[in-house]
Amino acid sequence: MSTRLGLRDLTRQHPGQPVPALHGLDVDVDAGACLALLGPSGSGKSTALRLIAGLDTPTRGRVLLDGKDVTSTPAEKRGIAMVFQRPLLFPHLSVIDNIAFAARAAGLSRRDSRSASRRYLELVQLGDLAGRSVGDISGGQAQRVALARSLAAEPKVLLLDEPFSALDSALRGDMYALLRTVRNELNPTIVVVTHDQSEAAVVADSIAVLIAGTPEHHSDVRTAYVRPSTLAVHRLMGGLNEFHGCVTAGVHHSGLGSHELPAGVSMRDGPAALVFRHEMVRLTSAADSALPGKITSLQPAGIRCLACVRVGESSVFVELEPQVNLTVGADVGVLLPAGALHAISTAP
Amino acid sequence: MGRAVRAVLMLWFLLPFVPILLWAFANRWPFPDPLPQQWGLDGVRSGLTAGAPHAFVVSTAIGLAVAAIATPAGALAARALVSGRLPLPRLSEAVLFAPLVLPAFAVAMGLDVLVLRTRVPGPFAVVAVLSVAAIPYTTYLMRVAFGAYDKGFEEEARTLGASRATVLLRVQVPLLAPALSGAAFLAFLVGWSDYVVTLLVGGGRVVSVPILVGSFAAGTGNSAVVAALSLAAVVPPLILLVVVARAGRRTEPPT
Amino acid sequence: MSRNLPPMRQGTSRESESVVSWRAALWVLPAVIPVVAVLIGGLGSALLQSLGLMPLVGAPALTADAYRANAGEMATSAALSVAIAAAATSIGVLVGVTTALTAVGGRRAALWAGTVTIPVPHLIGAATMGLLLADSGLLARVFGLSDGGWPALVGGRWWIAVVLEYAWKESAFIALVVASVLATRVAAYDETAAMLGASRRARLRLVTFPLIRPAVVAAATISFTYTLGSYEVALLLGRAYPEPLPVMAIRLFTSIDLATRPQAAAAAVVTAALALLAVAAALTVLRRSAIWR
Repeated sequence: MSTRLGLRDLTRQHPGQPVPALHGLDVDVDAGACLALLGPSGSGKSTALRLIAGLDTPTRGRVLLDGKDVTSTPAEKRGIAMVFQRPLLFPHLSVIDNIAFAARAAGLSRRDSRSASRRYLELVQLGDLAGRSVGDISGGQAQRVALARSLAAEPKVLLLDEPFSALDSALRGDMYALLRTVRNELNPTIVVVTHDQSEAAVVADSIAVLIAGTPEHHSDVRTAYVRPSTLAVHRLMGGLNEFHGCVTAGVHHSGLGSHELPAGVSMRDGPAALVFRHEMVRLTSAADSALPGKITSLQPAGIRCLACVRVGESSVFVELEPQVNLTVGADVGVLLPAGALHAISTAP
Repeated sequence: MGRAVRAVLMLWFLLPFVPILLWAFANRWPFPDPLPQQWGLDGVRSGLTAGAPHAFVVSTAIGLAVAAIATPAGALAARALVSGRLPLPRLSEAVLFAPLVLPAFAVAMGLDVLVLRTRVPGPFAVVAVLSVAAIPYTTYLMRVAFGAYDKGFEEEARTLGASRATVLLRVQVPLLAPALSGAAFLAFLVGWSDYVVTLLVGGGRVVSVPILVGSFAAGTGNSAVVAALSLAAVVPPLILLVVVARAGRRTEPPT
Repeated sequence: MSRNLPPMRQGTSRESESVVSWRAALWVLPAVIPVVAVLIGGLGSALLQSLGLMPLVGAPALTADAYRANAGEMATSAALSVAIAAAATSIGVLVGVTTALTAVGGRRAALWAGTVTIPVPHLIGAATMGLLLADSGLLARVFGLSDGGWPALVGGRWWIAVVLEYAWKESAFIALVVASVLATRVAAYDETAAMLGASRRARLRLVTFPLIRPAVVAAATISFTYTLGSYEVALLLGRAYPEPLPVMAIRLFTSIDLATRPQAAAAAVVTAALALLAVAAALTVLRRSAIWR
């Protein structure tokens, strides 16, 4: 099931629309790796998935499987399986028959296809639901069956289109664990579409960000957080700290002061925004820091707390450790680790 | 291959219309000529003198009466069926759809004696029987519509302060109008197209368009009149079909 | 801002509580009462007449004479009616399902053509089929087969014109029913099946046909029972003997000899019984397949 997936300049313009839904997606996914396509609604993620699957034809561009061009191969022959947002289990078949569908379609007898599918049913931990009718199982169970059904087709690439968005958060945690098990057992190449950056971080090895049809970022997970390519990507990844200014000779100047950019970040001189993760900012006493300030607000975020610190004319967002006990109005100092800094050019 | 199949199917459905169009406007068409020798309106004129206008009025009246009765009855019944609070729902469904499968002539034949004994006027009895025949269609169509109808619209209107009457007039009816017009059209069609019930229960005195055509078609040499009358029998429902289809499309809710 | 919602009365507002409510029964009555009255009145009266319990003259006396008198002919007529209905429905299903399938890709020309035939009354359909298929009809003329070369479709041994007219109308009805099921229920599953590697043929066999089966069975049953009880088409396009049941019944009913009235009623009752048998058979078929609701 491990195949290398390549997308070259994948573009799709729906007939009658002035703007392409997807514009020039160029990405490689290693065999057995997982890519997350991240973006807000309408950003072209599902379009990209349908193009990879072969359900729609691209206006331009190619889809490669292990280097072979499959762009003109119809969906049923591509060997790519897709799990949709809704499970879409065949209502006239039982659970095991749903999973056995690909085998039946390939010509196996009913008994052979059922026994071959048993393994996948056990993999998703629903072994005792084999004979049930699809109307009798819960939503979470149905999504597991849909996953098993796609896996049973032994696809070269597995596509997941926001498969967990309809599930509540507890179930979602179970599904992430299940996905890890599946990856360990079968090592499939996966492309998952999501609008939730935390889900992308949990599930994927690399992230490609689409905004309004245009790919704006492609990297591994950590780089997507710390070194986003554009401000839109930074915001989509949940980044809160951005300070507009300019870069001269590797140093960023803004209302927050002058900060030397890390060696790995090469920036041309010009207008740029300084960005860094609120999770990476440290707080010390006001005396020890070059950026002293006052806490202006504290927002609970789960068990952690998001503090807004006013430094001069700017506001810096800091995520506090659970054990830190500060109040509004406290004097603190902000510490920006050098490696956390990143600048994004804002030249027009 | 698909295109060839579609073409054959279109031929299958549309070919039978060709003879009526040709014969209706053929003054002379001797056998074995493939096309009429002389075109004209003789057939149409014969139809008009033979009582076509009167039959037209009768058929329209029957159709409208059946629509007026069967559509509200079907809509109310569908509402009850969909609500899930009906006692004996399966039995009610079976009763409401029974007229679809029971032979109309048998019912009409049996009723004829009762109608004569109770001295119910022929046209009323015809409308009553045909309305019963139309109820399965209207109920089914309205049930589909109610199934797709989101009660959320109503509840939203009520929280915005609308009275029950306002909700009915400004929310329910507009949302259901396409389905209602479709159901009314089907019921009209049942009344308009009927032959056997009008023949048996009407006692031969209710002359609708199908009855008129039937009397001519049974004889020989009447092809032109039959064709002209057939056109008159087919064109009004076709026009209604187009009107109803347009109305249905215009009020589709956004998806 | 507080809002006074109407007080919750028994069995009115909340759909989530499926409390059986007799008030809901009131809503069905305007439909149910006429249906029951007409059906029971009509068929009941026919049954009573056939059993001699509602004679035109004389005292009621329970007897099966009306059935016995014409037993042989009624059997032949029944067989003919069933054969015509079966043939017409089979063709109707074949053509109707094919038409619905051609409309799936968005090319709805054939389906539209079928819709155009819906408003045509069966009597008119019979008239036009006669003009098309008779020995002196349009097709005979167009093919130039004037002297005896044209087969006897109208009034011939095989009741071909009759079967074709019923099949013509029923195929449009079945096409519309199946097309609506295809559009609503089947569309998403077709893509899903393609993603699992199923070819077009496999998708038809494993997904489309099973999903449309209940609708096809229902529509075919309705068509079958309609054709069974239909009169005007057989009258115009058929031959004098043998007669389908409705033609026989109405001939006996309208004959001058009043003694044949019970026999007419008997033929009507037999037709109704055959229709009910067909429905029972269809219901068992439907119940056996995996039904979801």
